[in-house]
Amino acid sequence: MAFFLGIDVGSGYTKAVVCEDTSLRSYSIIPSGGDYRKAALESSENALKKINISMSDISNTIATGYGAAIVDFARQTLSDISCHAIGINYLFPSVRTVIDIGAQYSRAIHLDSEGRIVNFIMNEKCAGGSGKFLQVTARILQMDIKDLGRLSLTSEKPVEFTTACAVFAESEAVSRISEGALPADIVAGIHKAMSSKIIVLATRVGLVPDYAVTGGGAKDIGLVRAIEKELKTNTFVAQEPQITAALGAAIFASSR
Amino acid sequence: MINYFAGVDIGSTMTKVVIYGEGIRAMIIGPTGPEHRKLANKVMEEALIQAHLKFEDLSYIIATGYGRINVPFADRQVTEITCHAKGLHSLLPTVKTVVDIGGQDSKGIKIKDGRVVSFVMNDKCAAGTGRFIEIMADSLGVPLNDMGRLSLTADKPAMISSTCTVFAEHEVTNQLSGGETLPNLVAGIHESVATRVASLVKKLNIEPDVAITGGGAKNIGLVKALEKKLGCPVLIPPEPLITGALGAAILAKEIFEKYTKEGQVPERSKSGLQEAKFFD
Repeated sequence: MAFFLGIDVGSGYTKAVVCEDTSLRSYSIIPSGGDYRKAALESSENALKKINISMSDISNTIATGYGAAIVDFARQTLSDISCHAIGINYLFPSVRTVIDIGAQYSRAIHLDSEGRIVNFIMNEKCAGGSGKFLQVTARILQMDIKDLGRLSLTSEKPVEFTTACAVFAESEAVSRISEGALPADIVAGIHKAMSSKIIVLATRVGLVPDYAVTGGGAKDIGLVRAIEKELKTNTFVAQEPQITAALGAAIFASSR
Repeated sequence: MINYFAGVDIGSTMTKVVIYGEGIRAMIIGPTGPEHRKLANKVMEEALIQAHLKFEDLSYIIATGYGRINVPFADRQVTEITCHAKGLHSLLPTVKTVVDIGGQDSKGIKIKDGRVVSFVMNDKCAAGTGRFIEIMADSLGVPLNDMGRLSLTADKPAMISSTCTVFAEHEVTNQLSGGETLPNLVAGIHESVATRVASLVKKLNIEPDVAITGGGAKNIGLVKALEKKLGCPVLIPPEPLITGALGAAILAKEIFEKYTKEGQVPERSKSGLQEAKFFD
């Protein structure tokens, strides 16, 4: 028996996962803030503390994500795309297309039947299909981002947004609110606009079932349903979809 | 007897009304605001007061711009591209290429004899539009009107690598807390917008003279940055915001006169000067 640590330093959140051999034992998710190294250390310590072990019990550590290079206590770094692929293949071996919705970036990854990466695409130029869009929406509606999903599901008539740009959608939402549109219809409209943008991305890697949605965006049930509507099929969503890459990193660490 | 005409340009950010007789009789610029669908009549009322005219004195009215369908009292809707070309040609007849930087879009228009030859437009992405500058001004705490002058004192414009407005906002605030100076940041913001606009407009075959219109033309820092990116001087009309509304009013006059010449009367809108109603 040995313990392995995977750390995913994302632009929004830092995730640490501890595996015992290849079994998930504990994890921690904290905001990345301005100091990525500190976030990596803190999330790791949180995860270790939960199962009463310390850093010296860890046999191997792999870092991934936006700020992976700064994690000096990791033995190696691995790209977040690879970690995602490993993580999703571990959780849902039948998945061939992963849609990852992070705080700043959204990605689509196409896997073969062995879980190897065939192709991937990432949108780093535009906040249109990213978690940022949800943050903007929560702010203008003065809501907690966690409540958007459930509210969205109560909508009977989603607002049609004419734009996929987060900035323009914000002013469009403000206009619609002042005309009396319901918050639920606004959120559902935003989810629809985001999912169209995300599907465009996923189409470019090839839409092959089964599908999984990962990242912080997967915690928004309204967004997931909107994506499923576009895909015309269900998707796999892990119990904690935000730790997929960190889990992949820990699994990879156990294989070295 | 002089006939009077009106052009109403409902932009995403500003609403402009021009009343035109023999020359400009009234010119009103007001914020569009979130309630823009109800606003057109109020701005028109103001313009009529300024012109000392009654609504009934207007022979023909054209609405243009992003919100043109929300002007029930207008007799006709015409796209802002056509109106821009018309208005600009009357102000600066030598201009062949117009760069318009509005609150929520940017455009390039090629003109010949006051008519549109071709155009390019970005209204899909906030980068390269006035909104980009507005958001940056807000997060830097600099009044929008001071951005231009402030950027002229920059010694080395900051490099802003993000295209997306949302990401660039983070980048700018990070650079500010990292010690970059305000003038350099503001100059970098203008360069970013100028780069985007120039790459859009270069899809047209740019011919001099080049003019800039829209709210962006009021920002001297942006104008200078654009001149650098385009590699040529740009002309600025005296009131760069009203080009579209002026063009709409002139077009209203031309249409009216064409009909009267043929002994006909153009069909008019039946709505008076009342609020547009929605969700009815």
